[in-house]
Amino acid sequence: MSPELRQHLRTPVLTLFALLALLGVNVLLGIFFIGGHAWIAEGFVAATMVAIVIMFAMEAVKDAPITRLFAAIGFVWVLILFGLTMVDYVTR
Amino acid sequence: MSSTVGIELEEQYHDVEQQREAAKLGMWTFLLTELLLFSGLFVTALVLRVMHPDSVTAVALHLKFWIGATNTAILIVSSFIMSVAIELSRLGRQRPMAWCMLGTAAFGVLFLMLKGYEYYRDYVEHMTPFLSFRRYELVGDPASRLFTNLYFITTGLHAVHLIIGITLMLVMAWLASREGFLQKHQNRIEITGLYWHFIDLIWMIVFPTLYLLNR
Repeated sequence: MSPELRQHLRTPVLTLFALLALLGVNVLLGIFFIGGHAWIAEGFVAATMVAIVIMFAMEAVKDAPITRLFAAIGFVWVLILFGLTMVDYVTR
Repeated sequence: MSSTVGIELEEQYHDVEQQREAAKLGMWTFLLTELLLFSGLFVTALVLRVMHPDSVTAVALHLKFWIGATNTAILIVSSFIMSVAIELSRLGRQRPMAWCMLGTAAFGVLFLMLKGYEYYRDYVEHMTPFLSFRRYELVGDPASRLFTNLYFITTGLHAVHLIIGITLMLVMAWLASREGFLQKHQNRIEITGLYWHFIDLIWMIVFPTLYLLNR
């Protein structure tokens, strides 16, 4: 493997190991912490995995500001969807 | 980026960089509409969990947790191979790039095979409430049907996206078998990669939403 290619593969390899490690954490939580409030930790780990994919696999960190803005606004829409829906259901 | 790599400039763009950014922005816009499509299903899962927690837990304990976890790992590895393909495309190494895309597609097929086995187990274990001719395992719990059906709709919709992704990989690998592909169309690999990573991202939300959080 050429040094140039090795340099190019650094971020994908780190991303791979980070995602597999976080998946391992979630699997362990799923096995040993059934019920209770484990869902908070599991949700946090899943959100971290999603953020890693967006930032490093989809390379949002390298994109133009307008593309990053679009990506961020998309998730704001999702938060509005979840927020407005759940405000209704949890306050009934 | 290697000198053997480039993009054929379309007349409506000022320069290649503008064309590259426009393609990325367009793909992100499309992916965000897809995200909102799946978000409707995710918020439904959350509502069902709030309204019928015991029924949702009963279904979640029937789901094949290990198949879901294995499939997550498979998609993470497939995403890594896609990232390698993108890096190889930037270096102008067309042949190994095409092999990586075929490898990505192969992992996608492996995912679908495991998913198919999981559906078969669900069928055998009478967890298919939408089949009127089959007895439903949780027949005394009507609310559980909602979550079970949601599981099939969500994973089925994801599988449809994965099949599209596999098809794109195969088409791109075929196109990349032609001499000089990367000199004119390198950004197509980047755009296809964005779609594949997005399929991975959606599954990273599907797995905890259906299999994990409700156990």
